[in-house]
Amino acid sequence: MTTADIHALTGAYALDAVSGVERMEFERHLAECDSCAQEVMELQETASRLALAASAPPPPALKARVMDEIRATRQAPPVTEPVPLRRRSLATRLSTVAAAVFFVAAAGLGVVVFQQNQQIDDTQAQIAQMEQILSADDAKLVPMANPDGGSVNVAVSSSQDRMMLFSEDLASAPAGKTYQVWTIADGNPRSMGFLEPNNGNAVLAVSGLSDAGAVAVTIEPDGGSPQPTSDPIMSGSLTS
Amino acid sequence: MGDWARRLRSTRAETPVNELGPDLIARVARGDEAAFSQLYDLLVGPIFGLVRRIVRDPAQSEEVVQEVMVELWRSAAKYSPERGSATTWAMTLAHRRAVDRVRSAQAAADRDDMVGRRETSRPFDEVSEQVTTRLEQEQVRRCLGTLTDLQRESVVLAYYGGRTYREVGELLSTPLGTIKTRLRDGLIRLRDCLGVA
Repeated sequence: MTTADIHALTGAYALDAVSGVERMEFERHLAECDSCAQEVMELQETASRLALAASAPPPPALKARVMDEIRATRQAPPVTEPVPLRRRSLATRLSTVAAAVFFVAAAGLGVVVFQQNQQIDDTQAQIAQMEQILSADDAKLVPMANPDGGSVNVAVSSSQDRMMLFSEDLASAPAGKTYQVWTIADGNPRSMGFLEPNNGNAVLAVSGLSDAGAVAVTIEPDGGSPQPTSDPIMSGSLTS
Repeated sequence: MGDWARRLRSTRAETPVNELGPDLIARVARGDEAAFSQLYDLLVGPIFGLVRRIVRDPAQSEEVVQEVMVELWRSAAKYSPERGSATTWAMTLAHRRAVDRVRSAQAAADRDDMVGRRETSRPFDEVSEQVTTRLEQEQVRRCLGTLTDLQRESVVLAYYGGRTYREVGELLSTPLGTIKTRLRDGLIRLRDCLGVA
């Protein structure tokens, strides 16, 4: 994606009309483009006026439930130091293991690109995103072996509040089934999407970890389940 | 209740204590439940209306609104006035949560299950007729009227429909590059008409 293309996304981004991967790529661009940041701020302000115009009376009982829940919810700490905008070079930040996994994954993505030309943009964005996650100070790699063949690696950064799953030689799910990914916070699973391997390769980007302590993969009927219906076949800890 | 929309908007300049602004958010960040209760009252109407419009299913909409409210409580300390008004911070979060909900496959499965229920629920327009914020509505409606048909359709599908620009392109049989431009130009026109920033 060229810079001009990215810049044209300010409107779509302010309306949340971008895919998860594009959202993250655009946010990366925003950190380095002051004029885009200003424009996005104004367009978000504009979009919020559309929300104000959609106001509707809520059920009165909702407030008591919310008040109960906030009393039981610990608040996040303030941001105490500025987050550096520029990334240090990939080479100086990556451990040997991380680098190896990264390049294997990038090569895997290349295979997918070869087969699915229309996804080139997304794939480049995925590689960029993985690079960015792995360059965080608190980046962590969590390998998970699939008992039925292949593996899924998770690159996670708590400070960036996101993770990326990428498979190697992942066996296809049984017919009529799919791999569903969950994050688990306080024992509660939350669906994050699916891994659908193409020649063993699948990638899933997840933002908003909400303090989840673990990631798990279950096999669910096609279309997924609201809650896991089977024990995880793979899982890993997200905390450092 | 009639002029809360104006109060919500006046968050950039000095903000009286009983309005939504940095001071109120700062009190919420310090764990002040009374301040949060006030923030809830100021924001719940627009948040509920927006989420309901995107998610449609009443029970799921309530869940999302509750999530959004708790998240506002949880992350109040991270709000920074330099990055926009408190209202925009809240509405951006609410919109994103609603969109995340409808885009997850889980919601797709839930929605299929709930088709019957949804059909018996009140149609959206009837709900929106009860809105107390006539003034805000009229202004937004008037300004939406200054957009070209194609800009307006795209913006409405994306924002109120929770569609991605790819989906908007598909729905309007329009190339993606055109949709991106249309969304941006439409919002810019809307911004200028509403006098934002």
